[in-house]
Amino acid sequence: MRALRSLLLALLVLALDATAGAGQGLQRPERQVLPNGVVLIVQEHRASDAVALQLWLKVGGRDEATDELGLSHYLEHMLFKGTPTRPPGAIDRFVEGVGGQSNAYTSYDITHFDVLLPAGQVAAGIELLADIAVNASFDPKELDRERKVVLEEVRLVEDDPQQYLMRRLTELGFDATPYGRPILGTPKFIQALTREQLSRYYKKRYVPQNMVLVVVGAIDPAAVRPIVDRTFGRLTGEALPRPPIPPQPALTGGRTVDVPRPEKQAYLGLAWRAPSTSEPDVFAVDLMTNILGDQPTSRLPVVVRDTEGLVSQIKAGYLTRERGGLVVVTARLDAENLEAAEASVRNVIRRLQEDGVSEAERQRAIITIEASYAFDIETAEGLAEVYGQAETTSSLEEELNYLPRLRQVTAAEIQAAAKKYLTSDYARVRFRPEGAR
Amino acid sequence: VSALALLALLVLPVLPGPATAAELPVIRERLDNGFTLLVRENPTAPVVAVSLFVRMGVRWETRENAGISNLLQAVIVKGTTRHSGGQIAEMIAGLGGKMSAAGDVDYSEIRGTALARFWRELLGLTAELALEPALAQGDVEVERDDLVTSIQKRRDNPTTRAFDTFFATLYGPHPYGLPNLGTPGSLARIDHAAIVAWYRAFYRPERMVLALSGQAPAGEVVAEIKRLFGGATGSGNDRPEPVLPRVAPASRRIVVEQPAQQAQILMGSLAPRVEDRDYAAVKVLSTVLGGGLAGRLFVELRDKRGLAYTAASYDDPLKDPGSLVLYLGTAPKNAVRAEQALAREIARIRSQPVGAAELERAKAYLLGSFAMDRRTNARQAWYLGFYESLGVGYDFPTGYRRAVEAVTVADVLRVAKTYLKPLTTVVLRPSKSR
Repeated sequence: MRALRSLLLALLVLALDATAGAGQGLQRPERQVLPNGVVLIVQEHRASDAVALQLWLKVGGRDEATDELGLSHYLEHMLFKGTPTRPPGAIDRFVEGVGGQSNAYTSYDITHFDVLLPAGQVAAGIELLADIAVNASFDPKELDRERKVVLEEVRLVEDDPQQYLMRRLTELGFDATPYGRPILGTPKFIQALTREQLSRYYKKRYVPQNMVLVVVGAIDPAAVRPIVDRTFGRLTGEALPRPPIPPQPALTGGRTVDVPRPEKQAYLGLAWRAPSTSEPDVFAVDLMTNILGDQPTSRLPVVVRDTEGLVSQIKAGYLTRERGGLVVVTARLDAENLEAAEASVRNVIRRLQEDGVSEAERQRAIITIEASYAFDIETAEGLAEVYGQAETTSSLEEELNYLPRLRQVTAAEIQAAAKKYLTSDYARVRFRPEGAR
Repeated sequence: VSALALLALLVLPVLPGPATAAELPVIRERLDNGFTLLVRENPTAPVVAVSLFVRMGVRWETRENAGISNLLQAVIVKGTTRHSGGQIAEMIAGLGGKMSAAGDVDYSEIRGTALARFWRELLGLTAELALEPALAQGDVEVERDDLVTSIQKRRDNPTTRAFDTFFATLYGPHPYGLPNLGTPGSLARIDHAAIVAWYRAFYRPERMVLALSGQAPAGEVVAEIKRLFGGATGSGNDRPEPVLPRVAPASRRIVVEQPAQQAQILMGSLAPRVEDRDYAAVKVLSTVLGGGLAGRLFVELRDKRGLAYTAASYDDPLKDPGSLVLYLGTAPKNAVRAEQALAREIARIRSQPVGAAELERAKAYLLGSFAMDRRTNARQAWYLGFYESLGVGYDFPTGYRRAVEAVTVADVLRVAKTYLKPLTTVVLRPSKSR
């Protein structure tokens, strides 16, 4: 839901400058490309005695064929399950045995695996990630067990009104592009998925040129490269081009879906087409979204919730993808207020388009984004995440200029972005309580 | 000032290598008026976090006024005698920060974060909210309505509904059985006068602990906290601790039906208080069973048998008897088998000693996750203030770590036999309506 994570890199550079004289300052990240194409990003960070090790793959939901939706996510589930040298359960036992944590997630543009370990375990952690990156066993028993887990996860999203609202809204807003498909896949495909399908996709996509390894923590950066050379450095394989992504629909004339739901409260979701990470308007839209509804003092909560009392919760967010974007507004409310709340949102937008924003609002939005960054880099994994996201969906270098560019956006440009993107052509999803219980 | 007889406690653990944030020294002072401050300067990132703890919460509530502490906390951040709620919100946003307040079981907290360069403003706002709140009648009405909506949302959510039912069943007449948010009925009974009276009874310097962690100069921070809170007057007549009913646990099984995709199964019992001798051993027991991906419930019930999607244990640190809850989220068709399997796991750990390697894994996981949970300044401030306000001292983690390391296989078996009985069970299953 949050705006570009990667933009925050620019703020990092400012922070580095600010602390450079203090003797406690962070080091700049080192970015190296191994001969086989693996990108390595390393930084020392002593917030705690931990090291964050993150493997990012330029593989995700957008790489799937229409008859294999959910493959990337299923694959993600299987990687921590074992390799020839690590039987099922061994990876979890190792990570937790040293007090660490592991996590993985799949999005449309990337797949991400991470372990957070005591800093002394950095070598073992890198060896582990290199092993699962190419040697996953896909044990048939594990594969079948995981099927239940994945199906359960699909149900879980349907159970949670907020998550399910986002799913339906992105489906409608991104329409026929891969960004509108269910990232978890369809139950039918998950039921039928075979080991061969999984293995073929893995061999094709999990190749060095699609891999980014980020290492951030209480470590000596010089000690990391030799470990990476003897692990990730030995991987082979060539990357295939990613499938093309059709243009995002303009939502001309608007789209609506009404869904009956068991909750007593109703939910409203609205989505507008917005720039992708690589378009120049991304800066103005980031600030615009923030001013509209990224925080309690933003316009939507103040007007629609506090002044008019039409909703119990409302927020705006900017979903950026490498090749697409949506500005979304979501609200929780009583069903009888659905129409009035939507009209009120449109009014708030009209005022933004007609009267523009104040200098105070603009400054506030910039401070909010700066703060969001500062709290991200508090932790080793937060900083690693900023680097990994930037490297995989835009680039480290591009991001270095983000904050200076953001600061240059004028109030007039924010107003223009509101006129350009927040038009009457938008997608709308409404969850209505399905009668009295 | 010399008569203040301040106690400044400096802790400098001897550790190899450059210090990490959690190892940095803490300044603790108790002011003449009884107010306690804790400050940890942490240079890692340009942020600062503050937690103001007040010994006020569900523990002091009754069925009639359940939720009053949390309601007061909701109102207290809505404006002061000097600034309106809107102005306060604007000020916080201008610091790149967040502030919120909530009532919990043994304490209530006002918490805030900001960009580090605004540490002075953040402290000033915290003091203004705590010492000069407007407590406007209109705000009481608005926040009450908001909370009634939240209570409804908790009831709609199968997991929170199941947990609330579990605690009500386990604790019976003890206030720990009351929901933090109260009930629509209890909130309706709490008027403006009751909120003002509750504030006066509890917001006294001797009941407050303020903790700050972040990139701010410790000496200046301490001086500023003294300037802001040192003048607050205490009555010298602290509210006496309530005499709480004894909890009489019994073997009970409650079934709740509501529309949901998943079934929820909770099984558990009372656990020792934080200061009790058995506290560390029960934490280890809880970890062996439900500590993460390598815990028994996860491995046996989720990974090996696919009987659950979520499998974990919960054990909140509390002043009075805590609780140990084993929790499964599962597909409805597996609910019966999952419940049986959970009961078998409990019987197993009450009759057979855990393996030595399993014990070591649990300890490493427990201590590792404890360290991992203190990675941010907000969490560090919370931990400092929490243990101090609970009465076990902000440096509780040092002794706790040693106690966990000393837990034996025999200890785990003993506390499993002692505490995992009689069992309270709550099953929430999807109703037939979808």
